[in-house]
Amino acid sequence: MGRTAFCFPGQLQERPTLKEDHPLRRDPHFKEWVERASHQTPFDLPDFSYKGEETGFNLKLQISTYLLSMVHFYRLRSEGWVPDVITEHSMGIYAALAASEAITFEEGLWITESIGRILEREGASSGGAMASIVGLPSGEVEKISQDLNGFHLSIANYNGSMHFVLSGEEEGIEKAMDLALSRKAISATRLTFNIALHSPSLSVLSEGIDDLLKDIEVRSPRYPVLNHWTVRPLRREEIKGFLSQEIGQPVYWDRCVEKLIQEGISQFIEVGHGATLTKLIRWINREVEVFSAGDRFKEGAVR
Amino acid sequence: MAEVNSELIEKLKQLIITRLKLADMTPEMIETDAPLFGEGLGLDSIDALELVLGLEKEFGVVIPDAEVGKKVFQSVRTMAQYVLDQKEGF
Repeated sequence: MGRTAFCFPGQLQERPTLKEDHPLRRDPHFKEWVERASHQTPFDLPDFSYKGEETGFNLKLQISTYLLSMVHFYRLRSEGWVPDVITEHSMGIYAALAASEAITFEEGLWITESIGRILEREGASSGGAMASIVGLPSGEVEKISQDLNGFHLSIANYNGSMHFVLSGEEEGIEKAMDLALSRKAISATRLTFNIALHSPSLSVLSEGIDDLLKDIEVRSPRYPVLNHWTVRPLRREEIKGFLSQEIGQPVYWDRCVEKLIQEGISQFIEVGHGATLTKLIRWINREVEVFSAGDRFKEGAVR
Repeated sequence: MAEVNSELIEKLKQLIITRLKLADMTPEMIETDAPLFGEGLGLDSIDALELVLGLEKEFGVVIPDAEVGKKVFQSVRTMAQYVLDQKEGF
């Protein structure tokens, strides 16, 4: 029997649709974990709003992503699915760590919200933008950043041989998108972020995040969580450093997936609301089995 | 201009299912004139690249850039028309 990787996606790019008739609203895991979260945060997931507070769209998306990943994780576990390894993309790390029991559900929620607020403040003061470029190889995308050398642009996500995300100043990102399209990219799309996430400019936030995490007691992960820089499991003592540095470092998603396939993983389950990682894995390797827990649930096909 | 026929439409629907690994779908479930992106089949830019590659491999036609891609990937029918137009050009 093949081995299974649970994959925790990064921030959703649009408000999750959770209308009254959405099947997830009737799911006991959804009810339980949304209720549990409500003791700690005024964020209302079904309503996608903060009670009594005006907050940014990205913070709401970050918390939604975390909560939905955790709901799907607990659902999968209750149905007998067990990960041999856990991998994550970008801000999927918080749910990945909570799922691996290195931190608790509440700690993961608190970290997501606290880092989200730090990023929100950074966005308001320094700005920044990100764009997904599809259909150009890495050399071409790197050349675009070099050609726009008046800006500080860098590759933020290595998602596959023709899938990249660029980070940098807003004006530079707009120019990079135009350049990418003129150089035959199949698409260039702005992401919702108002910061240059996963770029060196965000390394200035590491100290604040270190400080934020100082009272959290991290435990050894129950399931190995892959570090996408070293493609080895994160050790307990590395986890806080990873959390404070990863927002200023690129995400090497393609490297992660390739390593896991080499290690004998033949089944990937995206533990979240959408199917972005599912599609990226399909591009990296068409032979492995991959599905999104969120999609399967909507179709009523989860075993 | 050559007429789009049902055989080509069927082949393109099969290409979409195969390339995008839509295991639970059959060609009958894809509407010929429905939008492929957004509200219709709900495809995105990652799917678009798969379809670009699929059209090139299976039909030998090239989508040169995003502008052409937007027009071609409006629906299965517009894909079929593009395939025919390109083949006529040979």
